[in-house]
Amino acid sequence: MLSRRNALRILGASAAATALPRAAFAAAETDKRFVVILLRGAMDGLSAAPAIGDPDFESARNGLAIDGTLKLNATFALHPNLANMKSLYDAGELAVVHACATPYRDRSHFDGQNLLENGSEKPFGLDTGWLNRALGQIPGTGKPLGVALNSHMPLMMRGPASVTSWAPSLLPSPDADTVQRLAMLYGETDPGLAKTFAAAQGANGVAMGGAAAGGGYQAFVQLMTAAAKFLSTPDGERIAMVEIGGWDTHVNQAGPYSPLSTNLRTLDHGLAALKQGLGPLWKNTAAIAVSEFGRTVAMNGTQGTDHGTAGAVFLAGGAIKGGRVIADWPGLKPSDLYQARDLKPTTDFRAVATGILRDHMGLKGNQLAAVFPSTTPIKPMGGLIRA
Amino acid sequence: MSIEAVIAANRFGLGARPGEVARIAGDPKAWLKAQLAPERELPAPLAALPSTVDDMSAFFKWLRTIADKARANGMDPYDLKPSTGAMMGDGNKGLSIEGDYIRTFVPRYAAAVKARFDTAVATDRPFFERLVHFWLNHFVVSGAKPGAIAMPPAFERDVIRSNITGRFADMLLASTKHPAMLFYLDNFRSIGPNSKVGLDPSLRAPRKREDFAMPEKPGLNENLAREILELQTLGVRSGYTQADVTSFARILTGWTIARPPRVPGYKLLLEGRLNGKGLFEFDDEEHEPGPQTLMGRVYAQAGVDQGEAVLRDLAAHPATAHFIATKLARHFIADDPPPAVVEHLAKTFLATDGDLKAVCAALVDSDAAFAPAPRKFKTPEDYVISAARALPGYRPDPGTLLRAYQSMGQQPYNPPGPNGWPDIEAEWLGADAVWKRFEWANQTADALASATMNPGALAEDILGPQLGKSTAQAIARAQSPAQGLTLLLASPEFQRR
Repeated sequence: MLSRRNALRILGASAAATALPRAAFAAAETDKRFVVILLRGAMDGLSAAPAIGDPDFESARNGLAIDGTLKLNATFALHPNLANMKSLYDAGELAVVHACATPYRDRSHFDGQNLLENGSEKPFGLDTGWLNRALGQIPGTGKPLGVALNSHMPLMMRGPASVTSWAPSLLPSPDADTVQRLAMLYGETDPGLAKTFAAAQGANGVAMGGAAAGGGYQAFVQLMTAAAKFLSTPDGERIAMVEIGGWDTHVNQAGPYSPLSTNLRTLDHGLAALKQGLGPLWKNTAAIAVSEFGRTVAMNGTQGTDHGTAGAVFLAGGAIKGGRVIADWPGLKPSDLYQARDLKPTTDFRAVATGILRDHMGLKGNQLAAVFPSTTPIKPMGGLIRA
Repeated sequence: MSIEAVIAANRFGLGARPGEVARIAGDPKAWLKAQLAPERELPAPLAALPSTVDDMSAFFKWLRTIADKARANGMDPYDLKPSTGAMMGDGNKGLSIEGDYIRTFVPRYAAAVKARFDTAVATDRPFFERLVHFWLNHFVVSGAKPGAIAMPPAFERDVIRSNITGRFADMLLASTKHPAMLFYLDNFRSIGPNSKVGLDPSLRAPRKREDFAMPEKPGLNENLAREILELQTLGVRSGYTQADVTSFARILTGWTIARPPRVPGYKLLLEGRLNGKGLFEFDDEEHEPGPQTLMGRVYAQAGVDQGEAVLRDLAAHPATAHFIATKLARHFIADDPPPAVVEHLAKTFLATDGDLKAVCAALVDSDAAFAPAPRKFKTPEDYVISAARALPGYRPDPGTLLRAYQSMGQQPYNPPGPNGWPDIEAEWLGADAVWKRFEWANQTADALASATMNPGALAEDILGPQLGKSTAQAIARAQSPAQGLTLLLASPEFQRR
């Protein structure tokens, strides 16, 4: 169903491109914005978006009950700390994709994250990231189109396409003359440092100054606000990646002030900050929040959950056709579970990601195959993006 | 000056102090191998840190003080709310849990980081110290987990430092029995479903360790079992299954932290002189009884012997030898180490029953070890330490040091997860991290450079034949000693090893 709509849009975009000297005002040919939020540590999807209407939910989740969930429809709800995300859902700007997983079926965080980031079918199957490869498909001027809000460069963003990174600084800035001399020295001796240093200089021009990281969720809000600034710069980045760790909740995860509850509140406020920071650009924005895998359906011996398989993925943004929970729901009876312990995966995360890259960022079939190389065809999920 | 001496000091050490390259130039390999000996006593900065018992109990003592403060404020300590982030302490009548946590633990953490830094800067055995850092990044207890905030120094002292040149199996056993590891990866809460306590949860009540918030309903927690297999011994994708993880978790039930009345040598505990060994307890009443099968092998031993037998088998497994060999070669030689070196180290590991002294000596003797082209990019911590070794005037206070590490993205003792800090260039050579290094170099050079300082001579002294022409020229043409020093610290030769 490559729709008339898409064909028209692509035609429209190229017509505009021939009519305007785009390089003069934008580094990229797209006016779309895309944000990936990586939730490291395996978020418990059944706490974030509990299936309260599933008749087996209560017994399967014995000991993990959460009070005050925010009802979405007959089957699903959101965790009570996701109030901003509930508002987005009500406004049709947030969708939940449930029982979703990457192709990874073992339970190592580090392999699972590696596969989620490299976008192939195996851990360490590729040493570049799928988001970097996606960036490489977007026509531009060669300026970085991607930014990682991070002091290290995550694998998902690593690769040949030029990207930058930024995190708040606590140190005073060096003078311009020293910057120039060092840039020259790197240029003469060390291409790796030269390229990275040039990207850093660019990032500093854009980012915010001043405000130091605060307590609670403020540090993440600051990163999301900075992401919005990068994405709002007229000739700036179009894709941003942000991450939050701390989802590995083996112990005492259910309480209202557990690390899981706190982390969900952080995510919730972060998305609100992204929307606020992007202002009118929010309508052109799609964001995905995804974790390497889900957690066991049943409580473990320490009031937490152990490593599992499928989980919940959040899609947010003005471009998202939201107000929906998208799930081929596998059920929670013991016989419904993957290996008798985990939520069974029924949606491939890559179908979600390629659906957005196709319908939002305008990537085509062979480009999508380069982003997510696969031995079996991946069918991009349609209808995730507003017409 | 020989290039081998520069490599020994940088690639295997923590960077040269002025005069050091010349001093070791006679036989750099012998200098490295002489460091492969147990340390006679703890370095003074580490010896001055709190005791193991204090490290282990600090968080739980703090929890009690918070409860007392809450009661004094007329609040129910079990109903405190975290601050919403908008303002610390809102919702609790001005009592901020986070604020109190930060006030209590940041100075303590900063003192530990400073002691680690001072030890690394002052040591005459930098290769030994690198190995301490390496192994603490293999057997990871991270203070990033709130309850474990004060624990890494105790773990380093009790488990890592004393086993650097011993057998791998001994380090593995010491780690798995250390209360910090049992806490960090949750095993102290894991209880055999068919153990005495598992079958009769009412037994739990009088045994409940209030300090550690034990669960009401006892059961398995597979966190430690999985991470031992995946991160500490065999390595991921080496053939074990989910069933093996679960079996191993059952085997490790009952491996827990001694409760004060039952601690052997209670007097030593009160005096704070007990180390981690004395705080291990095997609790038969929480241990899953009966034989267990792990990777096709049946372990029928009773009690703690069952887990010890598994750990010894894991330590002797070829997959473990290969995993450790790869990590060591990656740490010291190249992100993508030559397979021949890895194979040679793995063979040495197996042939010597995991003798880490022999394995490290084999590493030093390998051809690739002294290949002239640097293939490693320093981590932020090693970057700061090596600069401090080069600049005897750099003596930061703990807060300044902590801010430097934070801004470059690496807080010692607090790696983000049980897999430790990444050990490849791509993780550290990001735009932001490189910029922060430069900012730090600039600030440090500004503070230290005097009009009489000669950064060119210093570069020559610590980098010798590895100092390239372009860098030497850039330093020589700098408009001030401070700028010259900035360029030295930011130069590729100083950042790579």
